[in-house]
Amino acid sequence: MEAVIEVRGLVKDFGSTRALDGLDLSVEPGQVHGFLGPNGSGKSTTIRVLLGLIKASGGEARLFGEDPWRRAVELHRRLAYVPGDVNLWPNLTGGETIDMLGSLRGGLDPKRREELVERFELDLTKKASTYSKGNRQKVALVAALATDAELFIFDEPTSGLDPLKEAVFQECVKEITGEGHTILLSSHILGQVEHLADTLTIIRSGKTVESGSIEELRKMTHESADPDRPASLEELFLSVYEPK
Amino acid sequence: MSRFTGTGEALRFALKRDRLLLPLCVVGLIGWVGLYVASYSGLYGTQADLNSLYKSVAGNPALVAMVGPTDGLRTLGGATAWETLPVVSVISAIFAMFVVIRHTRAEEEDGRSELLLAAGSGRLATLTAAMIVTAGSLTLAAIGWLVVFLATGYEAGSSVLLVLSILGFGYVFVGTTAICCQVTAKARTARGLVGIVIGIAWFLRALGDTGPEALTWLSPLGWAQSTKAYWDDTWWPLILPVAATATTVGFALWLLSRRDIGSGLIQPRPGPDRAHPSLLHPLGFSLRVQRGSIIGWTYLLFVYGFAIGAVGDNITGILESSDALTAAFAGTSSNIVDSYFATIFTVLALMATGFTIGGVLRPHSEETHDRAALLLAGPLGKVRWAWGHVLIAYAASALMMALLGLGLALGLGVVTGDFGETGRLVASGFAQAPAMWLTASLAVLLFGISSRASVAAWGLLVAFVVIWSVASFGDLPSWIVDLSPYSHVPAVPAVPLEAGPLVTMTAIAAAVTTIGLALWRRRDLL
Repeated sequence: MEAVIEVRGLVKDFGSTRALDGLDLSVEPGQVHGFLGPNGSGKSTTIRVLLGLIKASGGEARLFGEDPWRRAVELHRRLAYVPGDVNLWPNLTGGETIDMLGSLRGGLDPKRREELVERFELDLTKKASTYSKGNRQKVALVAALATDAELFIFDEPTSGLDPLKEAVFQECVKEITGEGHTILLSSHILGQVEHLADTLTIIRSGKTVESGSIEELRKMTHESADPDRPASLEELFLSVYEPK
Repeated sequence: MSRFTGTGEALRFALKRDRLLLPLCVVGLIGWVGLYVASYSGLYGTQADLNSLYKSVAGNPALVAMVGPTDGLRTLGGATAWETLPVVSVISAIFAMFVVIRHTRAEEEDGRSELLLAAGSGRLATLTAAMIVTAGSLTLAAIGWLVVFLATGYEAGSSVLLVLSILGFGYVFVGTTAICCQVTAKARTARGLVGIVIGIAWFLRALGDTGPEALTWLSPLGWAQSTKAYWDDTWWPLILPVAATATTVGFALWLLSRRDIGSGLIQPRPGPDRAHPSLLHPLGFSLRVQRGSIIGWTYLLFVYGFAIGAVGDNITGILESSDALTAAFAGTSSNIVDSYFATIFTVLALMATGFTIGGVLRPHSEETHDRAALLLAGPLGKVRWAWGHVLIAYAASALMMALLGLGLALGLGVVTGDFGETGRLVASGFAQAPAMWLTASLAVLLFGISSRASVAAWGLLVAFVVIWSVASFGDLPSWIVDLSPYSHVPAVPAVPLEAGPLVTMTAIAAAVTTIGLALWRRRDLL
């Protein structure tokens, strides 16, 4: 089956700064793919290339087999995106924002919307200017999760959520993967990735350093460390970044 | 620890942040006055020139309303003061508005001021520093103006008085802006409020100078002109701006010390939990984003038009009683009121272009506030989205200028009982739109080139204002005058409406907009 996301040797320069330096990323249909890397390693830049918001300087990025820069509008019909920093229109209420964002994709299922609002305990009548970071993130999450997208791109989607809503998010992701949706999940919450992801890409300074299923990667770390104990994702992450 | 702790640091930080912008603005303000002075001393080098200026202008009620009392025009200094004081004062006030808001309310709205407050900065430090930086920059500009006047050979004492009069007006708006920043939580709204106060100050003076004199004394612009620099030097009115500055600054600091950080005196209310169907279309949503400023500007222009229209009849009355004036204007235009209205249309078209540029640059502000990605990650094309905002701004600009014409006609009609001018005045308002589109299309072009280049559009507007203001009374090479789109708008309703230049400007605006949007399609989102 054709990969949903296929990135090979991706390069992105901002002036004289090289943000992505030959990055590889591959996500198969129906997978939850964890996307890990320290701050500033190029996760968000990769996502913005995949969304066609910025143009690759070199290499290849394919979404559903097509060029995300040239075919942005068509491809966006098939995906939903939640950024890490959600900035909303200060004068609109949460409810208005969710409906407006949903209308771009032809409208939301009202039942699903209501159910998600209840689970995330979001007050829809408040103006966005009075929302906290977590509540702004809930607005973007409800607007995305209430769509029937084939691909969900989450860029640190829960960095402002409390642990209870974090658990709600994990439940929601489990539900939609059960229905065959594909998910790219960039996150710093290793427990979340460990719990949800089937496969993993770890990047550093704009380059892919590890990639594969979580089981494979654990085995690799396992061999280099203590042979009697399966490595946790945290150990794996640290083994990649700690100076040797 | 005092509430002013950290003012010094805030001051240094503000100066560092604006190390390029402030010197550029100050030099610009000085250079502009220099341009005036150079063109004036060239045009009115002899007493005979001045006498003929006096003859053609003195007592003309339209010019008294637009610019100010004409009694001082017999001397070069008096003529210079007459023309420069109102326009330089207003520009100084707008400068004060931008700088104070940029360093206070805008920072607070974006959540940056909390960092400073949490780091031990006093509650009043940022506002105090912003006011000092602004007042300091205005003072530097004033010193520059003084040097220009003295170097050109103007009388020293009167020059000091003129410069202090303008500076006083700028100071009053440092305090006024500081108050407006406490009232609303949004920088954009605060700028709107200050703009309204500047408009009221101008209007009260215009009414007072052509009618009940008491109104002049309610306006800070009236105070500035009542010093009568170069012809009847009067120093005591300088006390008025000093007192007003102290009061407004004190009141602003008092308000700030009582309110919550991040909010204004007006709190946002809860709203609907579901979107109105109109929001569910990209164009409807863009309209909603621009709605506030469209309503504000349209309302303002209409009310302004109505008030000026009502005064217009007053001007006809004064004019008819003076044979000399009727004779003076007989050659230039059939109707002095029409040429007065023509000037009003140009001035307000220049002002309202501020709305047009702000409107077409909404995509830029959505981009810098990181909201654009949320929309553009959906199935909404970049060009379609940006074009929606541009279209709304263009249409609203034409509509509000037509409504300005309608306001003028209704104001005139209510007083005279004759509404026969309505069609002509609405058309005259509408005729201003192509120049506004053309200026705004250059903003679209800059936005297409890069996000950072977009702000240069405001510089273009300022340049067109300078060209208009210097060219109206002074002397500029015609190729410079021709650079401004506003120079190519027929002076309707004083002359017949000629479609040629309007069609050409619309065509250029359309082409430039298209190029701008094509460039935007090809560039990265910020």
